[in-house]
Amino acid sequence: MNPIDQNPNPIENALKEALRREDAPETLAAKVLMHVAQKSAESQPQHSWLAIFSRPALRWAAFAGVSTCLTLGGIHYRHLQRERVQGEAAKQQLMLALRIAGSKLHMAKEKVNDINAPRPESQPDNRIPRSRS
Amino acid sequence: MTTTIRKLFPIILLLAVPCVLRAQDLKLPPDIESLSAKAKETVEVNMDGPMLRWASKFLSKEDPEEKEAAKLVENLKAIYVRSYEFTEEKAYSAAEVESLRSQFRSPTWSRVVGVRSEHDGENVDVFFRMENEKMAGIVIISAEPKELTFVNIVGPIEVEQLSDLGGEFGIPRLKTKPPSSKPVAKADKGDQK
Repeated sequence: MNPIDQNPNPIENALKEALRREDAPETLAAKVLMHVAQKSAESQPQHSWLAIFSRPALRWAAFAGVSTCLTLGGIHYRHLQRERVQGEAAKQQLMLALRIAGSKLHMAKEKVNDINAPRPESQPDNRIPRSRS
Repeated sequence: MTTTIRKLFPIILLLAVPCVLRAQDLKLPPDIESLSAKAKETVEVNMDGPMLRWASKFLSKEDPEEKEAAKLVENLKAIYVRSYEFTEEKAYSAAEVESLRSQFRSPTWSRVVGVRSEHDGENVDVFFRMENEKMAGIVIISAEPKELTFVNIVGPIEVEQLSDLGGEFGIPRLKTKPPSSKPVAKADKGDQK
């Protein structure tokens, strides 16, 4: 006969009852795994795109690239500005040429109309007859 | 190699001559350029095909005048303008103007309008250049007492439209004296060859 089984001490019995082997609940494994994954994600370092600038060579290369882009952009902008000014000047020239041509043509038309217009009888017609050359 | 070039030379020459003639067509008479030395104010506009295309790109589509101008120059090959304003009358001789006009008395050009005014001394000549019964160019020679203007527009152009521009593009329509005033001397019209 086992002496423990026969132990009449209730404290001992209560302790035995408390320390009785018991199977873990089915959800425990999943909970533990989830918790572990969460912890490992928190402990991993953040890989930002800015991290590439931690290397000096890359930092200088990026600086040079940005500077080149800005310079080229500035040159292109200046070129566009100059082109626009020249284009506006050319447009003004074109408009001036058309205005002069138009006004002279208009003058010729008016003069021809003027000559062809009938004259009042009361006034003497000193006009030399039109001739074809 | 040399013999090949010699053999090809007449062909090259034949091909080159029309090109040279074409280029000469677009040039201004040299006589007119010398007048700029005497002029108080000179306007010189030289715009060939690419320049015209480029300038017309800057014409606003919202502005009705510029829109019309863009339409007008759409098919033009060149525009040459020389306008000389003198301080005094008779700064240029009639012979100079006549030599200018004479350069357009050729079968390719038709003198459509010729106005001679002894009253106000304003003489205008308009020459059309026709190719295959289509307008291929226009030359305007306006000789006024203190002003001489030469306009050469190469390419098809709507004359009516161009004439309308004269009174609409900022320049007021030119008002001529009423018929009852002093006599207008002579006008030639429809002198098409």
